[in-house]
Amino acid sequence: MSPAKWNIILKIHRQKQGEAPHFEEFPMQVDPDEYVLDAVERVWAFMDRSLCFRHACHHSTCGACGMRVNDVEKLTCITPIREVTRDGATLKVEPLRNFPVVSDLAVDMGTFYSRMETVGARAVLPVSEAEIENPPTTWDADESQYIRLADCIECGLCISACPAAATSTEYLGPAVLAGAQDQGLKRNLKLLELVDSEDGLWRCHSAFECTAVCPSFVDPARRIMDLRMQVIEERFKRLFRKP
Amino acid sequence: MMAQNSPARYVSAPRAGENMWLWMVKMITGPILVILLLIHFVVNHFIAETGLLTYADVVAYYRNPVIPVMEILFLVTVVTHSLIGLRGILLDLNPARRLLKVIDGGLILAGITAVAYGVWLVLVIVSRGA
Amino acid sequence: MEKQRNHPSPLKFWLWFNPIGRQAGGWAYILHRITALGLTFYLYLHLIVLGLLAKGPDGYDQFLVLAHSPLFVFGELLVVAAGILHGLNGMRIALTTLGVSVTRQKQLFFGLMAIAAIAILVFGIRMFTV
Repeated sequence: MSPAKWNIILKIHRQKQGEAPHFEEFPMQVDPDEYVLDAVERVWAFMDRSLCFRHACHHSTCGACGMRVNDVEKLTCITPIREVTRDGATLKVEPLRNFPVVSDLAVDMGTFYSRMETVGARAVLPVSEAEIENPPTTWDADESQYIRLADCIECGLCISACPAAATSTEYLGPAVLAGAQDQGLKRNLKLLELVDSEDGLWRCHSAFECTAVCPSFVDPARRIMDLRMQVIEERFKRLFRKP
Repeated sequence: MMAQNSPARYVSAPRAGENMWLWMVKMITGPILVILLLIHFVVNHFIAETGLLTYADVVAYYRNPVIPVMEILFLVTVVTHSLIGLRGILLDLNPARRLLKVIDGGLILAGITAVAYGVWLVLVIVSRGA
Repeated sequence: MEKQRNHPSPLKFWLWFNPIGRQAGGWAYILHRITALGLTFYLYLHLIVLGLLAKGPDGYDQFLVLAHSPLFVFGELLVVAAGILHGLNGMRIALTTLGVSVTRQKQLFFGLMAIAAIAILVFGIRMFTV
């Protein structure tokens, strides 16, 4: 039994170089259990070859297809159309905020990636250092050699959702601070000056929007709070003994 | 070309603008204010049955030596908390370093003025009741 | 220039207050920032008005007659409400920073706001009836 099709209008943000941003509407029939990215790709495949957007893996590992869907940041490859609109309604798709638009839905993530690199955010880490459910109390010698991918897929949704990042070009932002917390001050003390600064930890105003939109359960807000406690501990230690 | 694309270009050097200590002051003054404000509300609106509704009421109220001490403590805490908070909001607007120094100077001046003025006012009222 | 359109900018400060697409923590942030600015403005206004006390009974008591008009009382209620909201929401920020309830900040926020609603109601009834 094939499920009922939905008729929706895909309203896509368009902007080529030198053009003013505007919206273009693409009426189409979709299966509500398809993903938002499927609908965007259909526009490119059958309606307008000039539509520009980023995508790669289609299973929430590469972090390329982050967009604003009906005003909320979503990883479009894992967002079912059923969850974000209804039959006969409009589905608005925009590029992420707080990143310069390159073309249509594609944004320039260069600055963000560089910041991740500056704090030394790890793409992979030893299993023994990962936050996992029910970790063993002790790791076997060969077990602890295994590495795993870090939870953060660097999709940038949190930077787009963060209200503090909207006005401040210099604020490091949730993913970058979470990348710093993933290592912790104990492993990388050089991070102290970088995160305990005007553009660092204390600029977070506890909106928790980053955690709300994170598709990968990184929980950046919790990590920011944890890193704050680490900084407080380190600063107090330094009061009493020179490093 | 290499230098231009190096990560360092995208991250400004750590600037000790809002550091942990300033933030700690805000965090510690917050709960103190909640307690002082609670006392203030309860005393002014529930215990003083008619409230402090006339000049004479206020002068009489300040005869109790605990009151001027508490009010000055409240003033210093609230001014500190509000100005550090305001600075946090202004920081979100990305001020240039030089502008931030001017802002800092202005906020410190505003704080000192407000506290000095408040202390003077309390002393005037206390002297009227003496 | 075209690229800058979607870039962070201080001119986008209105985005702080835009509730579209936000969830509980975002509303808390909006509420916190609005009440912060409002309370800061009120604090310094309050200090200036209290300066009337130094001029003696006449000026202050005349002002108090004005202060009993319903519009003024309503304004006062707004200040009390802002204080309650800012104080309780501040507790959410302090607690989550200490790691308390950091994964349940939504529930914490709604719980605190329920307390705030009751407190504002109590003060509202009290202020308009006494």
